[in-house]
Parts: sequence; structure tokens; C-alpha cells
Amino acid sequence: MSPEADFLRISESVGPWVSGSRTAGHRLDMDTSAERLVPAVTAFKNLSWGYLSAITGLDSGTVEPSDGHIEVLYHFCRGPAVVTFRVKVPRGDPSVPSIGAPVPPAVLFERELAETMGVRVTGLPDGKRQFLSDDWPENVYPLRKDFTLESAAATGEPAPAVGSGEEPGTFIIPIGPQHPALKEPGHFELTVDGEIVTHASIRLGYVHRGIEKGAEDRSWVHNIYLMERICGICSHIHATAYVLGVESLAGVAAPPRAQAVRTVFCEMERIHSHLLWLGVAAHEAGFDTLFMYSWRDRETIMDLLEELSGNRVNYSVNLLGGVKYDVDTKAADSVRRGLDFLERRTKHYMKIVTSDESFLRRTRGVGAITYDQANLLGTVGPTARASGVSRDLRHEAPYLAYRDFPIRPVLDSRCDLAARFVVRINELFESYRMVREILDRMPAGELAVPAPRKVQEGEVISRVEAPRGELFYYLRSTGGVKPDRVKVRTPSLCNWAAVLSVAVGHKLADIPMILVGIDPCFSCNDRSITLRRRGSRSLENWSWEDLRAYGISYYAGGAT
Amino acid sequence: MSVVLALVALVIFPGGLFVIFGSLAYEYVDRKLVARFQNRVGPRWFQPLADLVKLLVKEEIVPAGVNRGLFNGLPLVALAASLTAALYVPMAGLAPAWGFRGDLVVTVYLMMMMTLCLGLAGANTQDRFSLIGSTRALTQLFSYEAPFLLALLGPSIAAGTWRISEVNGYAREHLWMIVTQPLGFLVALIGLMGKLELPPFDAPEAETEIVSGALTEYSGRGLAFFRLGRDVELLVGLTLISAFYLGGLANPVHFILKTLGLLFVTAGLQSLFARLRIDQTVGLWWRAGAVLALVQLLVLIVLKILGVRL
Repeated sequence: MSPEADFLRISESVGPWVSGSRTAGHRLDMDTSAERLVPAVTAFKNLSWGYLSAITGLDSGTVEPSDGHIEVLYHFCRGPAVVTFRVKVPRGDPSVPSIGAPVPPAVLFERELAETMGVRVTGLPDGKRQFLSDDWPENVYPLRKDFTLESAAATGEPAPAVGSGEEPGTFIIPIGPQHPALKEPGHFELTVDGEIVTHASIRLGYVHRGIEKGAEDRSWVHNIYLMERICGICSHIHATAYVLGVESLAGVAAPPRAQAVRTVFCEMERIHSHLLWLGVAAHEAGFDTLFMYSWRDRETIMDLLEELSGNRVNYSVNLLGGVKYDVDTKAADSVRRGLDFLERRTKHYMKIVTSDESFLRRTRGVGAITYDQANLLGTVGPTARASGVSRDLRHEAPYLAYRDFPIRPVLDSRCDLAARFVVRINELFESYRMVREILDRMPAGELAVPAPRKVQEGEVISRVEAPRGELFYYLRSTGGVKPDRVKVRTPSLCNWAAVLSVAVGHKLADIPMILVGIDPCFSCNDRSITLRRRGSRSLENWSWEDLRAYGISYYAGGAT
Repeated sequence: MSVVLALVALVIFPGGLFVIFGSLAYEYVDRKLVARFQNRVGPRWFQPLADLVKLLVKEEIVPAGVNRGLFNGLPLVALAASLTAALYVPMAGLAPAWGFRGDLVVTVYLMMMMTLCLGLAGANTQDRFSLIGSTRALTQLFSYEAPFLLALLGPSIAAGTWRISEVNGYAREHLWMIVTQPLGFLVALIGLMGKLELPPFDAPEAETEIVSGALTEYSGRGLAFFRLGRDVELLVGLTLISAFYLGGLANPVHFILKTLGLLFVTAGLQSLFARLRIDQTVGLWWRAGAVLALVQLLVLIVLKILGVRL
């Protein structure tokens, strides 16, 4: 069914609660109000169309705090189509109702909105902070336009305890922020009865770096490098999502060869990410031999990435309007050789994860997310695909060279951890094939076209398939050299709801594997951290020497 | 004179220093083998000793809320029990330093002290990881201990004695008991891996779940003693199993070849499998381990009654 027919059906169903609607290409935007939001979303939900992909908050910005408005955008996606409900609330008293009842995965997004944009979300169930640090001052919202660093430093109140008070008779196992199972800081509280987990909750934000706010203060070009640093594993895909968005806003299109080069890097990044995940997941299961071997082989792809771009982590491939690096014949040959080796090794790993009895005992039937749960809880990426939910933007809404080199989506309907292994390993084979095909039929031509320094006014949604699932970017320009708003919704954020709900009832020993099964990436969930001397109210920049001296005096008992 | 000899046997050889350095050497071989199987470089030869010295000089942190006597005493008891057990086995292929009728049972109990101390040490602290770890360690103890004991009883029933040195002598003069009692050997070897909490039986200290299990709060000396005690137990266990099942130990060359051969097999097993969940460990031991050991024992007893010479 074409998006137009879908859009017509949607407009008819939610019509009574919508004051205006616009269609443009794959997007349908509908204006509603805070009072009519919940009935509108409920009516929309009853159509079983798509899933909630992100909630974006926009501050109109004004001199007087009580003027202006904050606009909240609820983006629902299916394939290439995006349906957006827009709610404008007065800046003086911004309040929207929670849509957590009809759409359960909305809760985490709403918490982010409430903490960073200061929109009161009435009816949010859990009151704990998720993104900002515990000693962040009350009523200071970093994504508001009138936010200043000074206002953030105004309190210096001691941090309230992270842990929810332990009720008598319950036994909580804390995992994180520092724990051997976690490669990045996050905090999970697992209430256990013996070995059985009876409740699981999460606290994010330990690596919140204020990137979305930072982006508003940097030029369109500088932001490529900032976005690339959101994640150390899938750096290229962030830059690509951003660049594609800016290019479409500016009305520039990268030449075919540049698009092909970007795609090659996207797929090579996926290969390195999936191999990394395979090792980490095996380690969580106590299968260190597989961990060591898969990471040894991963070095092959890392070396190739370095050979192509000179970098192992942030490849810095993208420019506005094209790419920096070409893939010449010599480099293509060494990529092919590397892929041949990896393909042989991957076949071996596939054999292990599907036939090794001791490993299967840890994965088969464990952490099952059913098709309905995966659908309802809005999972994305390999996690969704391992539950039979076909969500792969490379296939559904092809971008870059995926239009000329179609990808075959990998699906599995077994829903458990074993299926997540099979899906990711099959995706590796698919990525090997893609890279080879693109290298064989690389379009000739320029690598880049000039892009304007200022980007014309407008907004755009850019969605791409990252190794972990759908990556969502919302960009808005007011015609200047800097963006007005950059909203990033990373795939891990979509998958938390599903993983926490299936964790309950499992054995403690299975939890690390279930958590890792979605390939969580904390850095990309959390995008401000400020350093402040204890008791001091001022914000200052700390040099490395200051930090070192502070550390020494702190441990010598003379904390100042 | 006999007092001097006894002291030498206790402190220097074959007990004491010899056992300590010997077990550090075996730890090195174990770590190196597992590392090579996992395509890693592995430690240098002096690494286990360096680790021990480093831990001994480190500050020992006693966490709040523990019984200090128990906290400091348990590692000592664990190490002392393992070292005492070493006196009753044919260490280095020589006759045991001590021995009496029934020393096999005492040795098996001394080897169990390690896990008991570990369980108590974990339960003594208030750390959640330690509590879960010690519960798991003790649960695991109840699962492998009985099959392990039954597996060691096999050779001693065949030999008709409860004295380790006599079983060793019997084993030297007869066909290797790994051939006549393969099930018992299997259970004994895997039981030893369970006792030592080696992968895949490392659920009590599974780092990705409970950090370091019962030993999470230990640092410095206490940790060093527990680790050393475990190394000694590895050496004692390997000696006991090779003496019983691999045709006895008659001299140091036998000793080195047979125990290292066993270590090679256990290192291979350590790198082959994913960690078993604690429920899977218990299930494995009671559904398979105990049954196998019992079958072996029943066959032996029936043959013995029928008067078949093994």
C-alpha cells in the first residue's frame, strides 16, 4: 500500500482530534493539542500502523521565559513513511499527557523530554531520573534556548541516592555503573528471589555529554565530527545519518560514487560491530574462547578500515556533499582478501553458535521476545528481526547505494537469544556480499560536490539502519550557519523496554546475556557532564593537571 | 633426628615450600595452556609468583560489617587445609610424608575445607555479589562432593584399602584403572574441576554476573591465601587422580608426566565450553555424575563379590 493511501486512512481515523494536517512525500504531519493528544494517539494506535520511533521537543526560544511555545513531536514510522503528531504548549507552563498507556515504549522518550526540555509529562509512572545526573539542579533544562552553563551550576546540592530504597524482604543485585559485565556505564537494579529475577529497572545517563545541545552551537560542518563521536562503534552511521539529513535540507545530493563509498563504510562498520558483539556476548556466557577468536578476526576488518581511511574508530569519511576518501583498486583487492578470510571464519562461528551444545544451553529459549512484544514495545534492528519483525530501513526505505544494490533482510522467527546470534551472523554474510558487489560495480565519477555554508530554513527527518537498528535524526534549520535543533534517537533506546520486560522471570545468570542480546550502546543513549568542585558553585574548565592534582589530594584525604 | 626430619617434611619437602612453589608452577602451566588454546600469548613463567608477592604486599581492606576474626582466619584455614592434604598424597612420586589407615577419607575432607571456607567467607560479608557467590559455591559443593568421593572410592575398593599409599602401590602393579574404571576417572577429573571452580563450573565466581563471587570483598593477603590454597588443591587433586587412575606414581618422572598430562586435558576442557548456570551444574552432577559414579561402584562391588581379579 502506498503511503498516500495509508495517510488517507490515518487522517480519516484521527480526524476528529486533529486541527490541521499536511502531507509532503513520505511524511504526514498532524497538529493536535495537549487535551486531544491521548485520544488521537489511541485512535491511531488502533490502526496498528507502524511504531513510535521518537519524541522530539522543540523550543521556539524567546527573551521572556513566559513567551513563546514548546512544540512536542511524536514520530511514528513504518517503512519509509513517518507520521508526526505535533502538539504546541505554552512555554510558561508546558505540559502534555503521557501516551504511555496506548504506546508503552513512549515512557523512556517522555522522560528524556521532561528532563531535557522541561515539559511536564503528566501520568509518567516512574519518577527516577534517566538522563541527567542526580545533582543536576531542579528546573534547569539543557535543551531550552535560554539555558546557560551558569544556571546548571546554581545548586551544588548533594546527589540523592540512585538506588530506590530496598524494601524489607527484597534482595537487590546492583549491576553497574561499574561492573565487569558492562563495557560502558549503566545501572540496573535486579530484584532477585534466590536466583530468579522478579523486577528489573534501569538508570541511564552516566555518559551524557550534551551533544544535542552542543550541536546548536556549532556550524553544520563542525557537527559532522561531533555526531561521529556519539558512538565509538557505529561512528560512521551517525555522521551518515546527519549528512544525509543536511544534504536533503540544503538540496544537495552526493555523487553516486560518494554514496557507494559511504555504503561500503556502513557495511564494513556493521561487520566490525557484529563481530565485536559476538565476542562480548560469548564472554557474558563465560565462553572466552569464542570471545578471543572472534576479536582476533575482527582485527582484520579494523585494519581494512584503517587502510581505507587512516582511522580505526572515527573514520571521518563524510563531507557535506560527498566523501573524503576513495576506494581504489588496490584497496578494493585487500578488502576482498580480508572478506574472504572473514567469511570462512564466520561460517565456523555460525557452526559453533548453532551446534555447540553447551552454548545452546545458554541461548536456546532464553530471553525470548515474542513477535507481538517486539512489535508492541517498538524494538528495532537485529533484536526485532530475530523476533520475526521485519524492520530494516536498508530494505524498506533504501538510501545511499542500497537503492542500486538491494539488501536481503535477514529474519528469524525463533525470538530467543540463539535467534539473535543467527540473525547477526547471517547479516555478516549479507554485509560481505554487499561490500563485494559494490566494490565490483563501483560507479565512476566525482567524490564530492560543493555544499552551501548556510542551510535553508526547514526541518527534515533522516533515518538510517545502524548496526543496532533504526537510527533517527531530526534536524531543523532557521537558515543560518548553525542548526536550530538536532535530535538524535539511537537504536538502543528503543530496545530497553523490551529487554527489561523479558528479563523478569529469568535466572540471574541469564541476565548479562539478555542485556547484551540487544547489543546495547550506552554512549549513544546518553548524549552533559559538568565538573564542579565539591561545595563550589562555579563552573570552570579543568585541565588534565587540575584533575590529576584533585585526584591525588582527594585520596590523600584532603579533598577540597 | 626424627623431629628434624619431620620438620623438613612439613616445611620444606615434600610439604610446605615445595608444594607452594610446585603449585605456582602448575598454575602457570594451566594459565599458559588455556591462553594458548584461546589464541592468546599467556603469562610469563614467574607470573603466578609475582601475583602472589604483589597481593601479599598490598593493603588488605576489611569491609564494614564483617566478623574480623573470620574474615582474616578463613583464608588461613583454607590454605592450611590444602597444605595438610598435600602431606597425605604421593607428592613428586615419592611416598606420602604421612599416612594411616583411612587417610583417603581425611584427605577428601581436607580438600573440601577450601570450598567451605570460601562459602563462609562470602557469607561473612554484606556484599550482594559475595552472598550470591557463596550460595552458589555451597550449592555446587553439595552437587559434586558425593560423586567425587564415590569416584575415589572405586580404586580403593579395588585395592581393598583406605590408605592412599597402598592404593598407589596397588595401582602400580596392576592395569591402569582408567582402563578398568573409565567412568570413575571421568567423574573424578570433572569433579576436581568443579571443586576448583574452573570453567565451565565457574558460576560461583562468574565475573559477568557477580563480579568475583564470594571473594569480591577480599584484597591483599586474604585473596593471596585463597588463591594459593586453590593452586595447592589443584596439585593435590592432580596427584591423587594420577596415583589412583593412571597406574600410580613411582618416581618424579611419572609424577610430572602424568599430572601434566591430566592438566593438559583439564585446560582443554576449560576452554571448550560456555559457563554452566548453577542449576545446570547441579542437574549435571545429580543426573549424570552421581549415577555414573554409582554404576561404577556397583559394578566393582559385584565383581569383587564374584571374586573377579581386576
